[in-house]
Amino acid sequence: MSSPSKRREMDLMKLMMGDYKVEMINDGMQEFYVDFHGPSESPYHGGVWRIRVELPDAYPYKSPSIGFVNKIYHPNVDEMSGSVCLDVINQTWSPMFDLVNVFEVFLPQLLLYPNPSDPLNGEAAALMMRDRAAYEQRVKEYREKYAKPEDIGAAPEENSSDEELSEDESDSSDEQVAGKADP
Amino acid sequence: MLPRKRAAGAEAVQTTTESSPKKHCTAVTTGNSRSNDDNNNSIANTEDHIMALGNGNSIDIDEDLHSRQLAVYGRETMRRLFASNVLISGMQGLGAEIAKNLVLAGVKSVTLHDEGAVELWDLSGNFIFSEDDVGKNRALASIQKLQELNNSVVISTLTTELTKEQLSDFQVVVFTDISLERAIEFDDYCHNHQPPISFIKSEVRGLFGSTFCDFGPEFTVFDVDGKDPHTGIIASISNDNPALVTCVDDERLEFQDGDLVVFSEVNGMKELNDGKPRKIKNVRPYSFAIEEDTAKYSAYVKGGIVTQVKQPKVLKFKPLREALKDPGDFLLSDFSKFDRPPLLHLAFQALDKFQSEFGHFPVAGSEDDAQKFISSVTSMNDALSDGRLEAIDQILLRHFASGARAVLNPMAAMFGGIVGQEVVKACSGKFHPLFQFFYFESVESLPAEPLLPSDLKPLNSRYDAQISVFGSKIQKKLEDAKIFVVGSGALGCEFLKNLALMGVSCGKQGKLTITDDDVIEKSNLSRQFLFRDWNIGQAKSKVAASAAALINPSLNIEALQNRAGPETENVFNDEFWENLSVVVNALDNVNARLYIDQRCLYFQKPLLESGTLGAKCNTQMVIPHLTENYGASRDPPEKQAPMCTVHSFPHNIDHCLTWARSEFEGLLEKTPAEVNTYLTNPNEYASAMKKAGDAQARDNLERVLECLDKERCETFQDCINWARLKFEDYFANRVKQLTYTFPEDATTSNGAPFWSAPKRFPRPLQFSVDDPSHLYFIMSGSVLRAETFGIPIPDWVKSPRKLADAANQVIVPDFQPKRGVKIVTDEKASSFSTSSIDDAAVIDELIMKLEERRKLLSPGFRMNSIQFEKDDDTNYHMDLIAGLANMRARNYGIPEVDKLKAKFIAGRIIPAIATSTAMATGLVCLELYKVLDGGHKLQDYRNTFANLALPLFSIAEPVPPKVIKHKDMSWTVWDRWILKDNPTLKELLQWLKNRGLNAYSISHGSCLLYNSIFPKHRERMDKKLVDLVRNVAKAELPPYRQHFDVVVACEDDDDKDVDIPQVSIYFR
Repeated sequence: MSSPSKRREMDLMKLMMGDYKVEMINDGMQEFYVDFHGPSESPYHGGVWRIRVELPDAYPYKSPSIGFVNKIYHPNVDEMSGSVCLDVINQTWSPMFDLVNVFEVFLPQLLLYPNPSDPLNGEAAALMMRDRAAYEQRVKEYREKYAKPEDIGAAPEENSSDEELSEDESDSSDEQVAGKADP
Repeated sequence: MLPRKRAAGAEAVQTTTESSPKKHCTAVTTGNSRSNDDNNNSIANTEDHIMALGNGNSIDIDEDLHSRQLAVYGRETMRRLFASNVLISGMQGLGAEIAKNLVLAGVKSVTLHDEGAVELWDLSGNFIFSEDDVGKNRALASIQKLQELNNSVVISTLTTELTKEQLSDFQVVVFTDISLERAIEFDDYCHNHQPPISFIKSEVRGLFGSTFCDFGPEFTVFDVDGKDPHTGIIASISNDNPALVTCVDDERLEFQDGDLVVFSEVNGMKELNDGKPRKIKNVRPYSFAIEEDTAKYSAYVKGGIVTQVKQPKVLKFKPLREALKDPGDFLLSDFSKFDRPPLLHLAFQALDKFQSEFGHFPVAGSEDDAQKFISSVTSMNDALSDGRLEAIDQILLRHFASGARAVLNPMAAMFGGIVGQEVVKACSGKFHPLFQFFYFESVESLPAEPLLPSDLKPLNSRYDAQISVFGSKIQKKLEDAKIFVVGSGALGCEFLKNLALMGVSCGKQGKLTITDDDVIEKSNLSRQFLFRDWNIGQAKSKVAASAAALINPSLNIEALQNRAGPETENVFNDEFWENLSVVVNALDNVNARLYIDQRCLYFQKPLLESGTLGAKCNTQMVIPHLTENYGASRDPPEKQAPMCTVHSFPHNIDHCLTWARSEFEGLLEKTPAEVNTYLTNPNEYASAMKKAGDAQARDNLERVLECLDKERCETFQDCINWARLKFEDYFANRVKQLTYTFPEDATTSNGAPFWSAPKRFPRPLQFSVDDPSHLYFIMSGSVLRAETFGIPIPDWVKSPRKLADAANQVIVPDFQPKRGVKIVTDEKASSFSTSSIDDAAVIDELIMKLEERRKLLSPGFRMNSIQFEKDDDTNYHMDLIAGLANMRARNYGIPEVDKLKAKFIAGRIIPAIATSTAMATGLVCLELYKVLDGGHKLQDYRNTFANLALPLFSIAEPVPPKVIKHKDMSWTVWDRWILKDNPTLKELLQWLKNRGLNAYSISHGSCLLYNSIFPKHRERMDKKLVDLVRNVAKAELPPYRQHFDVVVACEDDDDKDVDIPQVSIYFR
């Protein structure tokens, strides 16, 4: 493994080589944005989220901190701040991982397999546990509202076929819950 | 693993400037004090106790003074210390160090015994004496300066020959200069005394030291390691024999086979909740077995906590008379010297024999005396029936003989720490005593070149003892050294004392620079021994420097108040660094250490690093080209509790305290500050929020509006209302909402219970003025709220009855759960859902409302933002935090803690004691001889990890730097590549290319100058690098600067990353 000072550059380089759109803040290597596409086969597919990545001084010994800039409906992401529950990344982080792992493994896993038993967004977790279809519907609403590719200047991904299926499923739950809207 | 990197920055403290009107109102009578006498300071206690804190009642522990030490020992040990009378016999360097450590720790009395008079010779090792003291009795000359360290310790002297009967006045007796014959006689007396008197004999002779302990025929150790009992959260228990207990896998178990544990809160298999200790075996990371047939017990359902039971240990000490013949296992400190302790065991006895035969120590450099000494050791060895040594290291013994008369300060500091700790153990039963012999030597500290007897001759100077060991050449090097001591806290004070005594920077060429930006606080005084009561509030470095100059008036010292960091590189500039001989870190946080490490690496300066954590300490030598640098290896980052756990699912008190601190900050610091930002410049604030337009901005605005509108306080009763409603919100409503969203029987998608370990199901609190902790919460909450609004605090807040009446007046609305999770599907409905609504629109509306409110405020209205200050016992900060944490703990059925414990955790107070600090600096100064002599090899240097609680010493050679090879080149982190003639980017790339290296990224500091992936960076090819550094990195290059450095990431021709040295570009 290389010296910590160079790990930043190498990891960042690998990320850019991996076709991620990286936007540096002030040419510095401390903070930057990365565009992240919702994984296919998840209700997040079709959405693009801008992820704010901060590399701590102790990187790679300490994990990068990851936050969603545009809103996402997810049991493990704080709805207001966009921060991801530490559990997901900090507890499993090791200096052997790099930024590519974050975007190719950690985040897709997080979106594919939310963990409602350790929620940061309790409402999302409860909904996911009780009514999966309604939950997915809600995810899509958020996605359509806040994660439109054109809004962050990202090119939409080619395939968008597998969305319709789940959308239909959620119909049944609509009426049931519509009455429960906030008084 | 090591304390250095964990002894993090929390100790950095701020000047306390404010003295607010609340100071006089400290107490509330609750009438319902707890019986547990370890709870003097708990939030629920009587008026007397709370008042006592402010008055510094002498019967009780002065927690302001001793907070850092309390964090190591706990109250019970401190009480036992305060009841102990200690004798220290022999007041040369070692006696003085031991006395200092014990006076700082705060025993009841210290009696100093010495029959001799101060000699110039003593000044090499004793920080108390000055040249004016020569000729005075050593004990009498010591008393005043020791008394200054702590007025509550009774210090007295004995100046005539001791009789053994006198020893019965003490619980512990320590001898640093006594013949073996007398020692045996005294120890027999102590060993057989009823109750036994703990006996310690310790000596430092040149670079050799020994310690022996006899705490009596049956000595009980209450706490063998000082650790909190380990715990685990149970996931399952089998009905089996033996039964298998599995725990949740978020934290590894720290039990060991044979430990005793108790079970609690087990659901189902209730038979285990009987509180009976059970022995465990087959311990794995997440499971263990109990030797019990649980087959017929009820089946395990859920829950349960397993807690280790710490067992007292009884030690049967041998008296010195027997132990000399049958010493048992020696405490080993350095595995490369595993064969030394038995030899040193003989050598110290032979030295005693030499003295009694010839009436003096062997003379330094005398071959004749050395031979007599060696033959004495040899004949003692030959006379041994078993355990006879096969070979005798004559060179080692020659060094021993030659230096035997000298008491060196670094050795005294090190052994002063060790013996001081053994005395504390003897007084209290806390930590495992040394059982029974410890020997140590540091001959590698001697100069690399052989010494001539003429070098060792005394010069009639205060350094004569040191010269007799090291020679006058190295003395000159020490005196001319230019040293930078970074930090003037506990380590810094000890270092200054050591350096002054060694004569470092005391010559005409020498210069010691010390810097620290901190000021002295009361809690520093229990170990930062150069500071006195009357220095509180003054700059640490200044006070320490003047005190050090009193120890040795020749010391050339400059005290600065700059924090060493990138922002002070104009003070600590290139010239400053280039002139240094060595850097000594005396820091309390990892980031500052890493920064100094980088500077030392850059300027190729040796760095002597050390740190302490409670009874643990470590030292690390960073020597250019010989060792790896400090930053090359790191501890794993500190474990943080996951956010979701802290938010909603705490399962221990740390989680509750983390939450409490963040709520405190939000309520009392951030929100008032946010309000003031708004009020100072409403238009600018509004447009900034509009521009941000996100949920965060909305949240800020909501909180500001709340503070100025609904929750605005104008009278003290308003503040009570606020505190009462906060109580309801935090400890009733939020819990009700959470359990509404996740009922107790909720299951996850796969059918498993949602509320399974480690999650704990919370229950709301029912507010009652009859519960003192509820009322105390209202009091501290309303007082602090009043402070943020500048509302005077009425006297009646001290009366629980009136406070209760006021709290009862508050109208608390009934809780209505939000109707389940907000599920909205169609567009229309979604406009009602708060989370889907357009933030921008809400922000506009909030700003409008705020503007209306602002018009109603008196002009110039501001709130007070309160910054958390843990060390002021009268400011209610810790009261509120402990209250918040404990009420939350009550919600979740987590055991509560008293205010002191809460302060340790929430204030992130780093446990610290004088003994381990003193030892660390002694060890570092033994290395300093090597560094300043120069010419030592890697194998001469030593890094140490020690834990005085166990006790454990692990001393080893430093790790060499990693060597990187590429083609026919090789380099380490200490190397640098140099390019002259002001090259362009392209020229640099070509230069690297010629060496088979393809650079893809070049940076300066944290700024990227070039990365092959950015097309626009290719436009920079023909630019001079210096221009890129100036224009892109915006770096200032002052006129004296000849070069700058860039970090280059490159690959070889096989696309493999190659880690190359920093590249220095000369541009003038």
